Amino acid sequence: MTASSTTQSDWVAPARVRPAGGASWRTVAAQECRDLWLSGRGPLLLFAFSLLLSAFTYLAATNQAINFLEQREAVNLTMQIAVAVGVLVTLLVSADGISGERERGTLESLLLTPVSRRALVLGKLAAALTVWFATYLVSIPYIWVLGRGVSIVGQALLLSLVVGTVLAVGLAALGLLVSALSASNKVSIAVSFFILLALFAPTQLPGGLPKGWFGDVLARVNPVGAGLHYSTAILVNGHEWTRDFNYLIAPGVLVVLAVVPLMLLSDRIVQLEPGSAR
Amino acid sequence: MGQLNLRTRQLSRRFGTRIGVDALTFDAERGEVLGLLGPNGAGKTTTIRLLSTVLAPTSGEFSVAGIPSSQPAEIRRRVGVLPESAGYPRHQTGLEYLTYYARLFGHNHADAIRTATGLLDEFGLTERAASPISIYSRGMRQRLGIARALVNDPDVVFLDEPTLGLDPAGQLQILHAVREVAARRGATVVLSTHMLAEVEAVCSKVLILDRGRMLKWSTVAEVTAAVGAPRSAVIRVPLEQVGAARQAVGALPGRTVAAAEERPDVLRVTSSASSDGMNAVLQELVRAGVPILGFEVEGTRLTDAYLSLTRDSGAHTGADAETEVVR
Repeated sequence: MTASSTTQSDWVAPARVRPAGGASWRTVAAQECRDLWLSGRGPLLLFAFSLLLSAFTYLAATNQAINFLEQREAVNLTMQIAVAVGVLVTLLVSADGISGERERGTLESLLLTPVSRRALVLGKLAAALTVWFATYLVSIPYIWVLGRGVSIVGQALLLSLVVGTVLAVGLAALGLLVSALSASNKVSIAVSFFILLALFAPTQLPGGLPKGWFGDVLARVNPVGAGLHYSTAILVNGHEWTRDFNYLIAPGVLVVLAVVPLMLLSDRIVQLEPGSAR
Repeated sequence: MGQLNLRTRQLSRRFGTRIGVDALTFDAERGEVLGLLGPNGAGKTTTIRLLSTVLAPTSGEFSVAGIPSSQPAEIRRRVGVLPESAGYPRHQTGLEYLTYYARLFGHNHADAIRTATGLLDEFGLTERAASPISIYSRGMRQRLGIARALVNDPDVVFLDEPTLGLDPAGQLQILHAVREVAARRGATVVLSTHMLAEVEAVCSKVLILDRGRMLKWSTVAEVTAAVGAPRSAVIRVPLEQVGAARQAVGALPGRTVAAAEERPDVLRVTSSASSDGMNAVLQELVRAGVPILGFEVEGTRLTDAYLSLTRDSGAHTGADAETEVVR
């Protein structure tokens, strides 16, 4: 080595004026929303969602007309589809959050900013949730059309907002966790899709879940199943909101189990290479 | 001595049992362009990732503009980086992209737009400011990447292979930008590259790595002088004069001559003599009455020194290593 060594006393920090404020998760969320809604992906997903809901509403309405479905059941079924597909789309968007950036080569540039990894994740979570709220807004006229004449439209809309938002927050956080830990974007999206399918499929079994304590446990531990069971109990069976409140424990637990580790471990799991130490 | 901007002491990073970088100790001053050289896998990108806090060191310490490595967020405010394989959001415009990053560095919206507009102008991208990045050429993207690395007015700028895949005009534009960043902004630029000719053109010092270890840290002149690297050149002579040329050059001390594989009328001469080694070869050929139809020195002094250093350390053992140095 030929260059001379230096001492700490040589060390002078240059006086530069830098912005005092730190960027927050809101900056990330705002840009993520612009990317999602102005790049075409968000509107396209929403269009596909509205097509699906239109078809389903038509089927529910015609079944209702020939007395196969009661009006309450038709509203409940449509609401369940709206919630399930809405959270599915939210999950898929969040599943692209970290692994997609990694694959597109844009993650390193983000990690090089002073924004904390927690703020990055929180911004992406907030942006993903806009998908859920957009699908919710789209579903309003469908539920209103099906529920005309019985006084359950307001109740159905409030229920889908509460249950859907809790599920969307939990599943979006889960999607981001999977995304941060997945080796590729394809793996992340496939795993997330499988998780939702595994949670949603039991609710669509012909005749519902098995009766008895086992079926009851299954219905309660599955956050999607429990959330939809709760809405059915209120909309179709006419139960009070407080009577089956314990069915919301599983969705609440999902939120805690997904959001808390995501926020606490974001510094460790949001890496250039999945699973590597920083 | 100028003002120090970058200082590392015994900086090491291991990935399990594999050494990423080992005990790096060097300094860089304000306004200096430091060339970071080494074969693939030498630890150049790892070094940049360590110094930009994307990776944490296993041991050792470093400072950027006086900020110790224990304050990674503060260091990120002081550095700008163009990563090796930087990706760009294709649907964003250049202006949106730079504005977003300026916002991430804490600028308010108006300041962010002002900074982004200024940088687009500085890097000749104003005309395409409102165009989506998807239609940018590779050279434009690289310039946009360097502009992004400057949104926070950094003290140290790390550029990882900024000229990779660019045409000669694009390479010159990037080199010009590198000089400007160091000269006008007073930032320290750490330039990782395999293009040794460009290192000679813009770098004041070089840091040569091999398998994570520092082989040399010095000025370009000191590296070439200390290594005493042999030079090689190809000489084309009339086919019937090849024998006479070989005899004339072979008689000179410190020179070896061999037939080039590509053409029978071309000789490859290697000289381990001083800097005028090739002058003596040409003089001897003229004296022997051999017409010189073509003469080209291969590579540069730094190329030779680099190859000599890395060959000595055993880095160039395969065909892969030979293709890494692009002159």
